[in-house]
Amino acid sequence: MSFEVVLQSIFSAAFIATVIRVSTPLILPAMGGLISELSGAINIALEGVMLAAAFTGVVVSGFAPQWFPGAPEWVYALAGGVVGVLVGMAMGWMIAFFHLELKTDIILTGLAMNILAAGGTVFLMFSLTGDKGSTSTLDSAQLPAVQIPLVNNIPILGTLLNGENGAGYNIMSYIAFVLVAVIWVFLYRMSSGVHLRATGEMPDAAQSVGINIRRTRYWALVASGACAALGGLYLSMGYLSIFQANMTAGRGFIALAVVYLGNRNPIGTLIAALIFGTASALGTRLGTMAIPPQLVEMIPPVVTIAALVLYNIRRRARLNAAARRFQEQTEAAHA
Amino acid sequence: MTKNKAVIEAIRIVAVVVIALMIGFVITAMVSKEPVQAYTALLTGPLPNLSFENGFAIKNINRFGNWMEESTTLILLGLAVAIVFKARQFSLGAEGQMLLGALATAVIALKLSIPFPWHMLLALAAAMTIGFLWGLLPGLLKAYLAVDEIVSTLMFNVIALQVFDLLLFNWLRDPTAGFVGTVPFPDSAVLPLAISGTRVSWMIFIMLAAVVIVWFLMERTPFGFELKMLGANRKFAEYGGINTKRVIALSMAVSGILAGLAGAHLSMGLLKRLTINLSPGLGFEGIVVALLARNDPRWVLIAGLFYGYLRTGAQIMERSSDVTREVVLIIQAIIILLITAEQLFPRFQEWWRARRNNEVAIERG
Repeated sequence: MSFEVVLQSIFSAAFIATVIRVSTPLILPAMGGLISELSGAINIALEGVMLAAAFTGVVVSGFAPQWFPGAPEWVYALAGGVVGVLVGMAMGWMIAFFHLELKTDIILTGLAMNILAAGGTVFLMFSLTGDKGSTSTLDSAQLPAVQIPLVNNIPILGTLLNGENGAGYNIMSYIAFVLVAVIWVFLYRMSSGVHLRATGEMPDAAQSVGINIRRTRYWALVASGACAALGGLYLSMGYLSIFQANMTAGRGFIALAVVYLGNRNPIGTLIAALIFGTASALGTRLGTMAIPPQLVEMIPPVVTIAALVLYNIRRRARLNAAARRFQEQTEAAHA
Repeated sequence: MTKNKAVIEAIRIVAVVVIALMIGFVITAMVSKEPVQAYTALLTGPLPNLSFENGFAIKNINRFGNWMEESTTLILLGLAVAIVFKARQFSLGAEGQMLLGALATAVIALKLSIPFPWHMLLALAAAMTIGFLWGLLPGLLKAYLAVDEIVSTLMFNVIALQVFDLLLFNWLRDPTAGFVGTVPFPDSAVLPLAISGTRVSWMIFIMLAAVVIVWFLMERTPFGFELKMLGANRKFAEYGGINTKRVIALSMAVSGILAGLAGAHLSMGLLKRLTINLSPGLGFEGIVVALLARNDPRWVLIAGLFYGYLRTGAQIMERSSDVTREVVLIIQAIIILLITAEQLFPRFQEWWRARRNNEVAIERG
């Protein structure tokens, strides 16, 4: 295997298509993590919400034909998606309730939600399907792929816009990118978004101008749950078409780190998610070329830690410079 | 804490556990055809069955053994979490430290050949050292560069898992085995048995020693005092002349030693080899133990025995009924939610009082 082969396979339209597929379940929960993080309420439970929503989507769409026979297939898929998002929102609301009303530590509450989801999904899966590993016996619906017409005849563009097989990306991939734009507009162009950021940055100041901190964080956590749920639904109804025990495999935790690597803004978070996605896709691809995939998959977490270190060094330097300026100014004023 | 407060706290914790178990029963009853039988297995399964028919004997010693095995790992993890929580550091790195601890024992066990006590001791020392270092790293980053320990330890967990898989797949794996795992460890690197007929090994004594040492460390040394001051109020501790940075870094490193030992228990005591997917999520199980124990090492022992009992009971329940063992995770989540809800009981009291006042008001017309 030569270096050129590696490069060729990286800089191909098919590889980019893979990156988008692998990054989708990171972008969606990371957007959720970003919203709650910016409101000043860290959501550790992205992982658990994803898992619960992934499970709900499969179960609802799988059993819906028995409950409401005769409807077209897309109705079942939609029902699974909607109920999955509702479950995610409910979990976000629960975290908010325990944290804001009962004064729990939000980190421990989030961890409890993760444990609840990990245990609850397997518990329910067994009692519904008699299987502890996956829902392979259940015929569940898939979320549709969206094919862009006409471009398939154009060599590279076709693969780029419609994936390797030309069938188009899953609708969740489109939702992920649209969501980034929507959240950007919300955070920087809408007053409620500004309120949300103010709540996270300086709660006291926000409160003094009449922003309801409690309500803002409630909504932030509920929205966060909805975004993470979309990521989970993609895993079980798009990426795969079954639910497997612990199928999120740490993606929710990575999404949380992605927010920090992305410097806590939507565009940065998107780029960070794509970095993680690229490393993961690259790992799989290089794995077939006798380079251990684990080495490649180690890069993003290392980069994340390095980014956090650099960020804090820069912030410290800035603070020191500001302190020095202040000191010089006061000395000049006294002289 | 005054005596009175401690009693109230103990009552609160027991109440939380009872409520969680009751909710667990309701959930079991919703899915099971024989909920009472299932729950009986959960709650009484691990008890050793004493028999006096042909002289004194213990039946089902393996169930009792499972209980002790589970509890040993959980108590070590609980101690690891208690140390960082006491200092109010939210290190979630136990999972990675445990994995690397187990990995280190495998490297020593399989790549060196030394006579018995030294081989085992060296493997244990390796697990403790790697745990220490894997905790020290995020600790230093937190202390000196203010890198958030939640995110960093989660990332260190990811790295640890990749290192684990990398070495296992490419170096340690037994290619002739039908699964991804190493050959069995040589006897010289396996922890000797403490109770025959079970897998309870010398680790149970190491665990007991660890409880005593951590208690001593927390209650009788300057480090323990500094740890508590830091946990109570970082600014105040700094004004008091405590080098809080050193304490932050060390608390996470010392915690890593115990998580590393938990990993060594899995590889050298229970499995006697290294396998892929060693025990995903186990590193987070120490949290519930530390919370139940209010970060007190002596109570970590009790809480670990309790939670280990529950986990063993759940396995027995799974084998003997139509309910899966995961019900214990649901119970665990409810325990964490309720125990951290400090406002739950005051709120309940308020509500109760308001209701009573209401009734009185209604009666008075």
